[in-house]
Amino acid sequence: MHNNPILRISTKILFAPIILFGLYVQFHGDFGPGGGFQAGVIVASAFILYSLVFGIEAGKKLFPTNINLILLALGGIVYGGVGIVSMILGDEFLAYNILGSSPQSGQHIGILLVEFGVGLTVSNVMIALFNAFASYDKVKEK
Amino acid sequence: MISELLINAFLVTIMLSIAIALIKTRTVIFTVILTSAYSLVAALMFITLDAVDVAFTEASVGAGISTILFLAAMAYLPKKEEDSISSEFIPALSCIILGGILIWCSFDLPEIGQLTAPIHQHIAPEYIKGSKEDIGIPNIVTSVLASYRGYDTFGETIVVFTAGVAVLALLEKKNTTKKNKSQPKQKIRKNA
Repeated sequence: MHNNPILRISTKILFAPIILFGLYVQFHGDFGPGGGFQAGVIVASAFILYSLVFGIEAGKKLFPTNINLILLALGGIVYGGVGIVSMILGDEFLAYNILGSSPQSGQHIGILLVEFGVGLTVSNVMIALFNAFASYDKVKEK
Repeated sequence: MISELLINAFLVTIMLSIAIALIKTRTVIFTVILTSAYSLVAALMFITLDAVDVAFTEASVGAGISTILFLAAMAYLPKKEEDSISSEFIPALSCIILGGILIWCSFDLPEIGQLTAPIHQHIAPEYIKGSKEDIGIPNIVTSVLASYRGYDTFGETIVVFTAGVAVLALLEKKNTTKKNKSQPKQKIRKNA
């Protein structure tokens, strides 16, 4: 697949729009269909497409495994962190009302952060799974 | 009404034929591709039920990423399924009986979209009414998912995280055991 110019160029053209669409789905989830789960998968698919066409090593160079694993855990921490912040501010766990000046703006901030955490975890789990499956064979051969 | 019936009949026919093809095929790559196609038709089905968020998830997760992950995992499987040796009579009979019971029970279900159905009477009206006042978000699915049912979604995120970590641990374990064999040499060199 490395030598096919059609695949290489179309991947280069598609890569940024896929991530842009993922971000749109992520942050437009309040107003239309979408949210963290779908957006995470879409963003992950961009990186997986890159790895499929340019090889797993190039994919790991683009998105290093260390960062991937840190972000994988960070998503859950962001979600739980929102809950703990709302607890520190004096409300219940994951009660967003207290996060903003008015209950509605608090809900907006809470939902945005929580969905971001979901997207972070889902996208990085998908990339990590693909990398783990794709690089498993090489170790076996050695 | 008739057009909706036609669309549903069309989708169900496609789903059924994909399911039959899935049973018949013995090649792993066809199984993966047919599963993906099945998910895509299921996503269309969800759109006809006006569940756009679910359809979106089904299309992106079911038809998209899981197919890629299946393909990545497929590299370690034999290319063809082995023919089963045991008889297919008893499994087929139990499937038919169970399916028959489920279809028989489905006659008791309320009609889809009926307002008086118990599921629309319980807590849903509160969510629909409160979503605009409490949260101020037009998409009720998001407000239920992230705010009213925030605990559940937190649990889901942790499940995804745990599943990912478990698979990584399983696959990485093999890597480290292979690496350990070559590591003692390096250690000796460092000590020397």
